[in-house]
Formats: sequence, C-alpha cells, structure tokens
Amino acid sequence: MTESQQNVEELLRRFEVPLLQYATRITGNSERARDVVQEAFIKFQRNGAVAPAKTATWLFTVCRNGALNVCRKEKRMMYLDEEIIESRPDEQPMPFERIEQREASGFLMKILATLPPRQQEVLQLKFQNDLSYQEIAEITKTTANSVGVLIHTALKTLRERYAQSAREFLPFEPRTT
Amino acid sequence: MNIDDPKLTAFALDELDEPEKSTIAREIAQSPEAQRVVDETRELARALKSEFAAELNQKAKPPLSLSDIRDDPWFWGIGRPLAIAAVLAIAAIIAGIAISPLGKKSEVAYSPVNLPAEKSADVKAEVTPEFHEELEATAPATSAIAKNESAAVDAYRRDETKSLALPPAAPMPPVSIAQSGIAAGRAKSAIGGFARAAKMAPAQDFGSNRYGDIRQPSGEFNTAAYDHIFENPFLEAKSNPLSTFSIDVDTASYSNIRRFVNEGSLPPKDAVRVEEMINYFTYDYAQPADGKPFAIHVDLASCPWEESHRLVRIGLKGKEIATDKRGPSNLVFLLDVSGSMTPPERLPLVKQAMRLLVEKLTENDRVAIVVYAGASGLALPSTPGNEKEKILTALESLEPGGSTNGAEGIQLAYKTAQDNFIKGGVNRVILSTDGDFNVGVTNQGDLIRLIEDKAKSGVFLSVLGVGTDNLKDSTMQKLADKGNGNYAYLDSLDEARKVLVQQMNGTLVTIAKDVKIQVEFNPEKVASYRLIGYEKRMLRKEDFNNDKINAGEIGAGHTVTALYEVVPVGGKVNPAASVPPVDPLKYQANNSKKTSQSDVATASSEMLTVKLRYKKPDGDKSELIEKPVIDSNAAFASTSPDFKFAAAVAEFGMLLRDSEHKGNGTFGSILEWAQEGKGSDANGYRAGFIELVRKAQALKKS
Repeated sequence: MTESQQNVEELLRRFEVPLLQYATRITGNSERARDVVQEAFIKFQRNGAVAPAKTATWLFTVCRNGALNVCRKEKRMMYLDEEIIESRPDEQPMPFERIEQREASGFLMKILATLPPRQQEVLQLKFQNDLSYQEIAEITKTTANSVGVLIHTALKTLRERYAQSAREFLPFEPRTT
Repeated sequence: MNIDDPKLTAFALDELDEPEKSTIAREIAQSPEAQRVVDETRELARALKSEFAAELNQKAKPPLSLSDIRDDPWFWGIGRPLAIAAVLAIAAIIAGIAISPLGKKSEVAYSPVNLPAEKSADVKAEVTPEFHEELEATAPATSAIAKNESAAVDAYRRDETKSLALPPAAPMPPVSIAQSGIAAGRAKSAIGGFARAAKMAPAQDFGSNRYGDIRQPSGEFNTAAYDHIFENPFLEAKSNPLSTFSIDVDTASYSNIRRFVNEGSLPPKDAVRVEEMINYFTYDYAQPADGKPFAIHVDLASCPWEESHRLVRIGLKGKEIATDKRGPSNLVFLLDVSGSMTPPERLPLVKQAMRLLVEKLTENDRVAIVVYAGASGLALPSTPGNEKEKILTALESLEPGGSTNGAEGIQLAYKTAQDNFIKGGVNRVILSTDGDFNVGVTNQGDLIRLIEDKAKSGVFLSVLGVGTDNLKDSTMQKLADKGNGNYAYLDSLDEARKVLVQQMNGTLVTIAKDVKIQVEFNPEKVASYRLIGYEKRMLRKEDFNNDKINAGEIGAGHTVTALYEVVPVGGKVNPAASVPPVDPLKYQANNSKKTSQSDVATASSEMLTVKLRYKKPDGDKSELIEKPVIDSNAAFASTSPDFKFAAAVAEFGMLLRDSEHKGNGTFGSILEWAQEGKGSDANGYRAGFIELVRKAQALKKS
C-alpha cells in the first residue's frame, strides 16, 4: 500500500461520515450524497497535491460543489436560489419528517431544521466539523465576516426558539384540584 | 455594549484574534448582560456539538459503497485504478454526459418544472390570504398563525378559553360554530409541531390535559393534525327553521378510525367525523328514474338512542354508470415522494394502489405522473392507458427522498391535466400524500386558493391520504373540498381496492357538483332538531340559492346519507336536547298567524321539506329538487336494515366522540342494530364494522 493510499484511507475514516452528512443536508438525499462524496474522494486521489492543512477545506468545497450540481440537475431550486435561501420564511412548520434526522437527533436538531438552509450549513460546518470561520468562508465562497453574521443569527434564533419551546411546554403541573 | 453583535458570538466561539479578542473581553467584563449572552452561546455550542456528533454516530446506515471499497484489498490493488480508468475512458468517449462512477441505480428522469411566472411572486406573497381573513371574522386571534408559531400558541390559548366559556349546548348559529371550530383547530394544528415537548416531559399525561385532541401514541413524535370539531347543537325549529349544508362523499375518517382501533387505541375525538363514517357505507337507495343525476330518499323512525325523538334519514343516490360507459379519463397522479413517504404503508402502498387503477384503464385513457419532493417534476408524461408497461415501470422506479413542496407539484399536475384535457371526459388529479406541504411557498391559505382556482378549469381532485403520525387530515379534507374532489384514507390495500377499483366510477366520474341540501322544518311538528355530523360542511341559509358558493360533489353510483335527530312538538325533551330560551324579539312583528302563507304551512301535515340544489359537472347554474316529508310514526324496530345500520354507525361515532348527544346508546346496542342492519353485505364492509365496534368496545373497557 503506497503512502498516498494510506493517506486516502485515513482521510476516508476521518471525513467520510461528516462529508456524507454535509452532502445529505444539501441534497436532501443520502444516495446522492454518497455519490457526491465518492466522487470527491476520487478527485482527491487524482489531484493528490493538496496541502495537508487545506485538506478539510478542499474536501468540503468539492463536496459542496458536487452536491450543488446534484441540486442543479434535479432542480432543487430551493437550495440554489440565493434569494430563497436567505429569505426562506422562518414560520415554516418543523420538518420532523426528514427521515434521516428522525432517529437519532434530538430536540435541538428539530429546531435547527427550521433554520434557513444556509444557516444550517454553516452551523454544521462549524459544530460538526469544527472548522474555523475562515475555512467555512472558503468552502461556502463568502467572507469570514458573513459567516460570523450567519452563525450569530442562527444561534440567536436557536436560542430564542429553544427557550420559547421550553417555556411553553415544560411546566406541566398536574392538576391538584 | 450591544449584545446583538456577531463579534460577541465570535468571541464565545473563540474565533477572534488579538487584539480584538482582548477588547471584547474587556467590554464583556463591564456588562453582565453580555456575559450572560456569551455563556448561553457557549452552552448552546456545546449542545450543538454533541447533537451533531450524535448525528454522525447514527447507527443502521446502509453500508457505504465507499467503505466497501476501502475494505476490499482487491479493489485497492487493481480494481480501483481500473474503475477509475474505465470511468475516465467512458467519460472521454461520452463527453458531457454526467455519470456516477460506481452508480448502478437507475434514476427517474425528472424533467424540468415549467412553472408559470407567478411562482416567484408567490414566494414573496404576503402571508395573509383570504382564507385567514375568513377566519378572522370569528376568531381574530388566529389570523396570525402562519406568521409566527408563538402567536399561534397564544391564539390557541385565547381560543381555548373562548371555547371553554361557551355553554355546552349554546344556541349559536351553526356556521359560526363550525368556523370557530376550524379556527381553533388550525391554531392547534399549527402548534402540532411542538408536540415533541412530550419528549421533554415524558412523565406527564400529555393526552388528557390541555391537548385533549392531539394524540401521542407510544410517546413518539406525532404531527398529525385534526381540526377541532364542535358538534352541531339542537336548534329550535321556530327560530331556525332552515338547516343548510353541503353534501360530503369523503370516507377518510372511517378508515382512519379503523386504523387507530386496529393499532390498539381509540381515535382522538377530532379524528371522528360522523358523516364520513356513515358515508363510508353504501345504502340501497333506488336509482334516479327521471333522468336526473340522482334521487332523494327520505325515511324516518323513532331514534334508537332516544325513544321519544325521531331520526330522519336523507339519502341521495347518484346515477350509476357502467364501467364500459365511463368517458375517456385523463388522470394525473400527483405523488408525494418525500422522505416521510418511505414506510411500506405510504409510497409503496400508493404505488400498489395506483397499479390497481392502471390495470383498469384502456387506450382511451391517459395517465401522467407528477412527483414532488424537494423539487417536483414530471416522472411520466401523459401516456395512453394501454401502455401499461410504460406506466408501471415509471411508477415502479419512484423512490422516496427529500422534503416536500406540495404547492409546486400541484401546479405542475394541474398544468399537465389541462394540457391533456379531454372534453366531456374525466379530468382528474389524484393526489397521494401523507399530507406534508412543508417546504417552499406553501402556506395553507395559498394552497387552498390555488386549488380552488384550478378546480374552475374543470379538472377535479381526488386526495388519497396515507401514513399515520404525520397525516395532515384537516389539510387533506380542505384540499379535496375546495378542489371539487373527494378524500379517502388508504390504510390498506383493501381500502385502495374499494376506492379505486370497486368504486372507481364514483371516485373518478363526477355526475353533479356543488350539491347543497336545505331542510325546512315545520315548527308545528318539530320543536327542535340536530344534524348529526357535517360540522365542517355547514352553510348559511343564504348560501343555498347562491350559485357562487362551492359545495360537495357526487360521483357516479355514490350514496350520500345525512341523519337528523328531531324532537317532535309535545315530545319529551331530554336535557341535552333542550334549547335554552331566547328573549322574544322586541322590534319584529312576531305574529306569524297574520300572513295567509303561514296559515297554509301550519295547516300542513308535513314534518319537513328537503330541498336540494346541484349543478351539472360542467355547468354553473344550479337546479332545484324538492321533497316534502310526512311522519308516519314508524318505529325503529320496523325500519329497513339500511336505516338501522346507518343509525348504528352514527351512534358509534358519537360514542367515540363521547358526544353529549349520544343518548342511551352503548357499544352493545350498536352491535345489536348493526347486526339487524347487516343485510346481504356483499363486500363484507358491514361485518368489518361490527368487528371494529367489538374491538373498540374492548379498548374502552381496558
């Protein structure tokens, strides 16, 4: 086994699942996500010369492009149309139905799923993959500043909704009279 | 300092470099408020990290082809370079065709959606559709639902207090009762999403407290939405001589109830719509003989659950059309293929159901398939009905995935139906979904307006609901109602067979639309009366003669049955049926004896007159049929089996709803009446009902 194969294997172990999650969140489909991640690794293999420090950014960027291509091909305009991404109304009912999230994820993830897609994306990159604002900015082709604003807004909304839900539903006092 | 500053968040997440970091740190030290925000942000970040980590550790993922590659030494040694080389070679040959290197799965070819230009306008459309305005009239608080969940919760609370403040049998006009019922229900369905809080407070009895009608089977998430139903009260015949409603051929409530009972629980009260239960069964009414599209039959007898009352049955029978006489059909299957449709009783059942229907089609028919999920598309362009293989292959290749944009799919489906419109034939969109319209431009008001608009084009709608935890029962019912359609709930392949094969013509061929019934009661004979069920179908008395008011459709061979419980003048009045007195009017000449017309009426031996208006499927002017009824004092014991059976179903519904009007009936007496009313029961539906009552009886005891 050559050094580069070992390298790829290690990267697979480390990034395969996070990349799959990431691509699934964009495409909404784990099958397509699998294809996208597969292609990303094949490209990586071919490309080879990626600086180790940049590997994560590189992989996420390639996956993102691949996933967006799938969206484009399948006319998932909801994700592609910038305006819709940013302005998607927040009052949508919680999409509990997303099968791939239903099993393991908890309360917080349900609220997360109500955020605009772009905000979900940056939160995933930040908190699932521990990437910096700068790295996220490179992947999502924006500035670190915008990433900061997105994350700030997303966390604020999450906090509010979480608090609100807890307030509304925790105090279940048994009736004493 | 400003606590709503992205820098604060960046600081909390350790994203700031010096010297900014120190600057912010100093500012935070000055502000307890900022410190709190930072702490909260960190707390949330920790929670998010652990939730995201949990997402990565989800078990039961199907093995990745990638992992397989990695573990396969052959592949790493030889296979992989070969595969890559092969891929590159192919790619070089077929330049421009995107292929997935190892992909084997055939994909449905989604053709692009050609949405009309209004789409982008829709996206930005304000969130105050007419539908909300209509509700505002009776429940102003609920208009904010679509805007804000918390507002919905508040509205719901206000609504709840309002409904609690109502005396049990308050003599409100039926229409406003029905509407505030809808409003309250909508508010609740809007917070249905929050039902997950059950998870946070598992020890509490979620079902019986504030959320009496949001069900939580086995503590799982449940976003099924049922509108609250306020039962029709008894009304005094003198002050309310007219009772007006739209017919309803929906049957979904019965199969949904059956599903609940078969799964071992009694249904939530608001899932019980008595008229849909009664209409699930066909009754042996004679066919029309006079060339009209349907015949009216009225019979009455003593009311089995309240001997001193009379039970009036109004039955409509639509003209039957032989299968080979059905006009050519232009069908568009609009199928929800979102991720939530994955379980076997959803998309797979729908596919089976559609297959049954396709088998019945001929070369004169056309079928198209539109799917919708994250995006919508035409999975099968309109295809002649004899190209079964092509249709079935397209059907077969559908796979669930993605979230749901119902509105876009509906637009495309109607467009496809219109493009292939068969004049004089059956033009119908058959929508099958678990009811989720949760992505994109969708809000219920817009959707309903869209459907209402499309219904005018002559394309009718059938809604087939599937699934359990997520069934948007109320949305489905409204869509079918506004779309000149019918709504059935498929809980099994048998049910699919009933709806799509045995009653195919009834489901597909509409023989009359906007069918309204108005009953005038003679106050000399009738003290008070109550329409059983049809709460969501009540109309104002003025609506009866107004041809602009949309009402229910009737299909070929369909039967529609409505029951009134009537308190005769001089009869014993049970407390639940008593109508609280209203002060006499001061400014109205309340002296009806003066007019000669009322002399005629009061002299009449008639108990009531049933009036019916309908339009031809392609017409817009209504025709009137009238039928006066005289009470011949028949006893329940001597009535027809059908009458007994309908009474049994109605009482079963009232027991399930724990209605204050249920009278003396018990599960035992229901079984008795149903047995007597079973008749020949060719399809076994009535035997199924008897079985269902037994199961419900057992559940009630346990």
